[in-house]
Amino acid sequence: MDYRTVPSVCIYCGCGCGMLLEVLDGKPVGLLADKGHPVNEGRLCIKGWHALEHAMHAERLTTPLIRGKGGSFEEASWDDALDLVAGRLSAIKKDSGPDSLAVLTSAKCTNEENYVLMKFARAALGTNNVDHCARL
Amino acid sequence: MAEFEPKIVGFFCYWCSYAGADLAGVSRMQYPPNLIAVRTMCTGSIWPPYILKAFQKGADGVLVAGCHIGDCHYLKGNYLTAKRMAVIKQLLEFFGIAGERLRLEWISAGEGEKFSRVVTEFTEEIRKLGPSPLKEWNSEARA
Amino acid sequence: MKEEVRRLLSEKEVAGFLGLRRDERGAVVPHLFTLENIDEVESLVVEEDQRYSPGKILLKIVAAHPGEKIGVMARGCDERALIELHKRNQLNLDDIVILGVACTRALAEKCRCPLPFPSKIAHGEKVEGVTGREELEAIEKLVEDERFRSWMESFSKCLKCQGCRSVCPLCYCPECGLAEESIIRHGEVPPEFPVFHLARALCLAGRCIDCGACEEACPADIPLRKLSKRMQEIMKELFDYVPGMSPDDNNPLSFTGDAEALKRLGGVIAAMKEEG
Repeated sequence: MDYRTVPSVCIYCGCGCGMLLEVLDGKPVGLLADKGHPVNEGRLCIKGWHALEHAMHAERLTTPLIRGKGGSFEEASWDDALDLVAGRLSAIKKDSGPDSLAVLTSAKCTNEENYVLMKFARAALGTNNVDHCARL
Repeated sequence: MAEFEPKIVGFFCYWCSYAGADLAGVSRMQYPPNLIAVRTMCTGSIWPPYILKAFQKGADGVLVAGCHIGDCHYLKGNYLTAKRMAVIKQLLEFFGIAGERLRLEWISAGEGEKFSRVVTEFTEEIRKLGPSPLKEWNSEARA
Repeated sequence: MKEEVRRLLSEKEVAGFLGLRRDERGAVVPHLFTLENIDEVESLVVEEDQRYSPGKILLKIVAAHPGEKIGVMARGCDERALIELHKRNQLNLDDIVILGVACTRALAEKCRCPLPFPSKIAHGEKVEGVTGREELEAIEKLVEDERFRSWMESFSKCLKCQGCRSVCPLCYCPECGLAEESIIRHGEVPPEFPVFHLARALCLAGRCIDCGACEEACPADIPLRKLSKRMQEIMKELFDYVPGMSPDDNNPLSFTGDAEALKRLGGVIAAMKEEG
């Protein structure tokens, strides 16, 4: 029998409300609003209260998937998946030019990851088509 | 400006009060047409939030009519009704909707006359109270 | 208190003890102390006003470990929640060892609590609770129209965050009535009011132990405790029933009962006066 709380920050918007993830016998089972956190002081919005739902969802992806010959998704390794993506992006860039590609970054990424994605778009792909999910 | 016509929602039970209402109709007893009837098997099966929903949807008054105490077809369903209506009345009063807008009556299958009398009296009472503040608020919000 | 917790664990009277501890950040968080990690008991915190309802947490632990004995640190409101949960077969008080903590006067005032101590006190001293009904009188002083407007303005700020439900120890229903489309239209913020808040108040009649977690969790500062305190009063006036006091009585709204009890309703319901 093991129950502990793990402090964390909500993954949704930019507020950064504090929450305590409840971990029972090694599995996350729920969350509590962190009453001592200066941002939210024990309150959460509806997205925050359900922030854990996706983590343990039955349909959550656990491996890369590549569409096979039959048309359905098959499990693949990270190497295979990345090779496929890199190959296709390079081919598209060669055929249709860099501005036919675009990059959408995410609020779920860290600032540093978003910076890397921006550099990837501008320096690696060679396009200015980079934007963020918050602008949708 | 048209004169205010109260909207009354009435919850009746299949075995007693609705039959009483039928009797009133068959006997050609007159009562105002302001009533919208909802028939349930027993008033004890009315989930209390539905009473609130009636007000939310624009009822000026809500009438709940069941069997007399001791005559409930399901033996004691109306005990639950009595307790719940008392609580709802007090809550409405605290909230700012007059408790008089919710009325509980016991009407048996043979009391057609009582049915038409109760509906007539209640409609007039609500006419004097005026439109429900919740109805006005909702129509203002939509305007 | 720490001694007692250590004793309960080392003598295997309980498989775990649910309390509060100070974590690495210095914050106070709920924690289950076990024999395997008995050193952690050193960080047990008793005098602290950070309230996380242990009833809510115990429901999850008990569901995963039915039949095992668990200790819990409980204040007055916490014990009342546990009693109500026991009545509803959500947990078994026979499997729970309660170490009661009495609240200080300062805490009782902060929580506007009428009974700031559990039935048996292991730590702290009994103080008098806060029993005035000024906040209810403030509402009752207003005439009907003003009362209505004041409540509607409060309710209109509701974000539908469901925080009130998420923190309430008595809100454990897997299918909540408020999620019914026929009662509350889906997809609107604020949710249809006042039916959302009044329907919740009705569900809590005879169930709510007035711990105040809901009001603390509401980001819109809706005065939910005024509603819960008034519901408690109504249940006391009409049925002489106060939730959380004894594991042996039951919410009058959840059983039919006898005709005697109905006689008290004559003051509120004219039809009951006639039936007599």
